[in-house]
Amino acid sequence: MDSAIAQKTWELENNILTVETPDPSSDSIFYYDETAQAKFQQEKPWANDPHYFKRVKISALALLKMVVHARSGGTIEVMGLMQGKTDGDAIIVMDAFALPVEGTETRVNAQADAYEYMVDYSQTNKQAGRLENVVGWYHSHPGYGCWLSGIDVSTQMLNQQFQEPFLAVVIDPTRTVSAGKVEIGAFRTYPEGHKPVDDPISEYQTIPLNKIEDFGVHCKQYYALDITYFKSSLDCHLLDLLWNKYWVNTLSSSPLLGNGDYVAGQISDLAEKLEQAENQLAHSRISPLGPSRKKEESQLAKITRDSAKITVEQVHGLMSQVIKDILFNSVRQSNRSPNEQSGPEPMVEA
Amino acid sequence: MASSSSSGLTFKLHPLVIVNISDHYTRVKSQTNPPPLTSTSATVNGVEHQQQAPRVYGCVIGVQRGRTVEIFNNFELLYDPSTHSLDRPFLEKKQELYKKVFPHFYILGWYSTGSDAQESDMHIHKALMDINESPLYVLLNPTINPAQKDLPVTIYESELHVIDGIPQLIFVRSSYTIETVEAERISVDHVAHLKPSDGGSAATQLAAHLTGIHSAIKMLNSRIRVLHHYLVGMQKGDIPCENSLLRQVSSLLRRLPAIESEKFQDDFLMEYNDTLLITYLAMFTNCSSTMNELVDKFNTAYDRHSRRGGRTAFI
Repeated sequence: MDSAIAQKTWELENNILTVETPDPSSDSIFYYDETAQAKFQQEKPWANDPHYFKRVKISALALLKMVVHARSGGTIEVMGLMQGKTDGDAIIVMDAFALPVEGTETRVNAQADAYEYMVDYSQTNKQAGRLENVVGWYHSHPGYGCWLSGIDVSTQMLNQQFQEPFLAVVIDPTRTVSAGKVEIGAFRTYPEGHKPVDDPISEYQTIPLNKIEDFGVHCKQYYALDITYFKSSLDCHLLDLLWNKYWVNTLSSSPLLGNGDYVAGQISDLAEKLEQAENQLAHSRISPLGPSRKKEESQLAKITRDSAKITVEQVHGLMSQVIKDILFNSVRQSNRSPNEQSGPEPMVEA
Repeated sequence: MASSSSSGLTFKLHPLVIVNISDHYTRVKSQTNPPPLTSTSATVNGVEHQQQAPRVYGCVIGVQRGRTVEIFNNFELLYDPSTHSLDRPFLEKKQELYKKVFPHFYILGWYSTGSDAQESDMHIHKALMDINESPLYVLLNPTINPAQKDLPVTIYESELHVIDGIPQLIFVRSSYTIETVEAERISVDHVAHLKPSDGGSAATQLAAHLTGIHSAIKMLNSRIRVLHHYLVGMQKGDIPCENSLLRQVSSLLRRLPAIESEKFQDDFLMEYNDTLLITYLAMFTNCSSTMNELVDKFNTAYDRHSRRGGRTAFI
């Protein structure tokens, strides 16, 4: 009884909407209506309202492709394009593909051969039955969070001038693996000089010290969109069946081992931030009290939150390890009920 | 046509491939049978709503290391119904494109949808043999059958068998395992179970994590129970004894405990202690932050008289 109440409370807290299992008739989202799309392109309702697009719907396939590609890059940033369509105030991403671009901090712009690749790929796709157009680009920020850097902002502003409707998506594969949930963000920039009317509270995420300046300078120039995911009925069915096979992988995953260096990096970053906070504290001793005090408080509070996050992830990883240890390492010699797993028995001859 | 393969290759399939094929099929299906439109564009009236299941074709790519074949990704191909073969220049173009982004992947074979392998598939299979000497054929059955428990994906290989004195190629079924990278597993999990996407509180994160492990353990438990049930049946004599199965079960049990060595214990305890240390440090940080706030509030409340910054508030 208790567990049922607990579950209800949890669901309520998190606004879990039970999505009905998509049946074949609701797969209509996969249908590409050329005429409606062309009409929408001509109308350009986004030209008047910079905050026009509010939601993003990503298909299961696109998400999987993007995350796998981002992860395969390791610590190098990778990028790619997304294909899809629009639907009212939502951008729908149906598919994604990778671009052969080597991304560095200063060069995540696509170069000439990448453009050629884009054109070739789009053409072959159209032939093969994928009719959607490119609606955005994605790239990865391995280890340092989902936000747009200065270069990203200028790239996106350019895109939004000439290739509307366009969306920017950022994925952090390292944090995904470490936290056990997908770290992804979808953004659109405001045009030059536009001041956002309301300041939406975005979810706090920790940014490493060497990037925090870049983040702070540009964070007001873009806004985040809500992301939801969808999948087809066949996908649903297959994924359910897939669970039968890969529960083994769930049990055998060891996040502690895989992410050791990332965690070490986070901790050293936290230590630097602490030192910085301490220095600021020392300086403000002399300066008059008031607003400067408030800033350090929030700095220290931020550090606390970061440390809590790192700890929670570590503890989760340790829990998995301990559970596995109990399951597979402690051999119990029991003469109790035959339901218990006992040690190796001699083979029974017929 | 299908017997078990004897080539000795082990196949590993990534979930991305399965989702990709499913998406391809759904796309083509919804494009050929457009959904009834509610708007006034009356183009849909004359459409026959036969739910024909179109077959889709494509190529699978991946890596072959020794005897292990790992299928990572796939892409679509065009099928020419007149010649019963795949569009070759298209395939080469696509292959080139994919080579640029994933230089390590080779073409391992092709895929299609349907319920069973057919004779005409052999033509396509033979055509691919000049790219890869022993291509794979991955077949996905798109009909949704709620009763089935197993993944409707089969991998076929081709083998030369002598039938009626003529050496012929026939399809033989091979077994495969599902292999994932950690990131793939998390995103598949995410989409499959629609976990809370935002940070949420620590409690929800914990709940999500533990739920995942709990489900996995439940599966393990149910599988063990099945085995146990079977063994009890064998003991009672209801089921004829099968020695090979008994050997497998016995070897499985002999593998417990999984690791038992001094070094493992040491490392395990060290990791345990490291985590405890991190928790300790986090608690420290939390405490000092709270103390700081407390002192600040105290100062703001009671220290209004002394305007000079001489008296330090921070210890």
